[in-house]
Amino acid sequence: MAASVRHLLKPWTPSLCLVRWSRYNSYYLDPDPSKDARVPDSELSPEQKELQELKTVRRIKAALSSDTSSPFSDPLMSKFINMMMQDGSKILARGIMTQPREEIECSPHSVFQQALENCKPIIGLASVQKGGKSYQVPVPLTDNRRGFLAMKWMITECRDNKHRRTHMYEKLSQELLAAFANEGNVVKRKHDLHRMAEANRAYAHYRWW
Amino acid sequence: MAASGCRGVRSILWKYGSCGKNFCVSRSKTVPQLPVRQICVSSSLWKKNLAAAGPQKFTQEFIDKQVEEFEVGKRHLANMMGEDPETFTQEDIDRSIAYLFPSGLFEKRARPVMKHPDEIFPKQTAIQWDAEGRPFHFLFYTGRQSYYSLLHDVYEKILAIERHQDKMRNKGLFTSETKQILLTGSRWLLKEEIEEYLVENISDHDYVRLIQLMEKLLSMPYCSLEEEFILKFRKQLEAQSSKHEIPALQYDPQGVAFSVADGRRKTAKASITLRDSGSGNITINGRNYLHCFPLLQDREQLMFPLHFAGALRLAISRALLSFVSEGEVERIRQAGLLTADPRIRERKKPGQEGARKKFTWKKR
Repeated sequence: MAASVRHLLKPWTPSLCLVRWSRYNSYYLDPDPSKDARVPDSELSPEQKELQELKTVRRIKAALSSDTSSPFSDPLMSKFINMMMQDGSKILARGIMTQPREEIECSPHSVFQQALENCKPIIGLASVQKGGKSYQVPVPLTDNRRGFLAMKWMITECRDNKHRRTHMYEKLSQELLAAFANEGNVVKRKHDLHRMAEANRAYAHYRWW
Repeated sequence: MAASGCRGVRSILWKYGSCGKNFCVSRSKTVPQLPVRQICVSSSLWKKNLAAAGPQKFTQEFIDKQVEEFEVGKRHLANMMGEDPETFTQEDIDRSIAYLFPSGLFEKRARPVMKHPDEIFPKQTAIQWDAEGRPFHFLFYTGRQSYYSLLHDVYEKILAIERHQDKMRNKGLFTSETKQILLTGSRWLLKEEIEEYLVENISDHDYVRLIQLMEKLLSMPYCSLEEEFILKFRKQLEAQSSKHEIPALQYDPQGVAFSVADGRRKTAKASITLRDSGSGNITINGRNYLHCFPLLQDREQLMFPLHFAGALRLAISRALLSFVSEGEVERIRQAGLLTADPRIRERKKPGQEGARKKFTWKKR
């Protein structure tokens, strides 16, 4: 009986070749790299207590090389860097990200977060086929999707619509500052999407989910 | 005694076994009793339809005899190794067998082993019907009598608890704040473990049903009455932090404490000596780490971007364990610093360019 649990704890290779799989089994939990002082036990809710108990008995995955316990690391920033990375050169992507931080003097961290918040669309469009014609139907978006779209638009904007001689980090810093002030191309794109959704609100009932 | 019909080996074992027993009994009067052991059976005696005969069945006497032989053999082994036969544990047995019969075989299951017969011979159900062919258990004709009788038992307990609840309500003593069973740090037995417990095969659906019924039992306020029954089906999980070996703290001639640890990541290996001096210098292969490989990103806890560095990080975390307190060990473990990263380079598959990249798709 211990053998069946042991097979859960070994690095797992599938017998069939699956497309999305990882070397960890589902038994492993995600690591928590934060270094800050833990909330004392009395203030935890029962669910959090249960989670803590679970963590003491379950195995934890290895920490990623990109996550540290320093206060400077930010999950949002890491995500953005990964999205910007091409051909696996994380060093280059990270370099591009840290340079606008030097250009934006006061609180670059909160500027970045607020800029992305301003770029997030509230409602999206989905293509629905009905009666031979496909309509653009306004649809609510999940938080993950909204964040992803904001970051994707920002990156596409910085790559495509820049002057020939500007570097990526310059364009990025300009766009971030513009988005922080609710101006600029990315926010314009968000407003366009909202307008399209508003225009197509007659088809909203085509959504069945 | 030799090959009788198509029964082949089994009959040989039986007959030999029984003959051996008689032999043993008759000899005991003249010669001090020695354990009679089956040495080997020639494969030429195996008949072709052996597989069709089904899995081997062992009688209770056979298994009892094996247990007896095991106990006697254990004492002999202890005497041979010069140890006390009374306090000879299974680990000692394994150690002695590995010493006396060194084997270079890679397959662990092919190596000589000496274990209690209960662990070697699979558990079998006893005959479930009497001489007239009438089954003993009322659920025999369901095909899975142990499983269904277990479900019946659990449901009986649920009804008993409901009756108890009603009684308390009638007396006016009903409260929801009753003693709850502590379930943290334990898990339900797996399907394989339940199968072992019931000595029957159950399907996934059956297993899920059983767990649902147990959860229903747990959801009742007075479930603490059946605590020991429920805990029979839960397995304690040990705290994972105890699984990590803390390297021993060694001392320099100068009195400075240091610890040594290893780490691995992909194909890189690192061996680290962590000293307590507190100067903060890091030397890699004799060179300063800044010269060794370019410090591309500033990080705490020396988490470098190269795979080379993953090995270093693991080794440093392990070496650090001997310097920090228990709570800190748990924090380090939960930050994911003590797990060896199992990710390796994915292999290239045939019919594709690389691990994931496919050849150009051509419509025709």
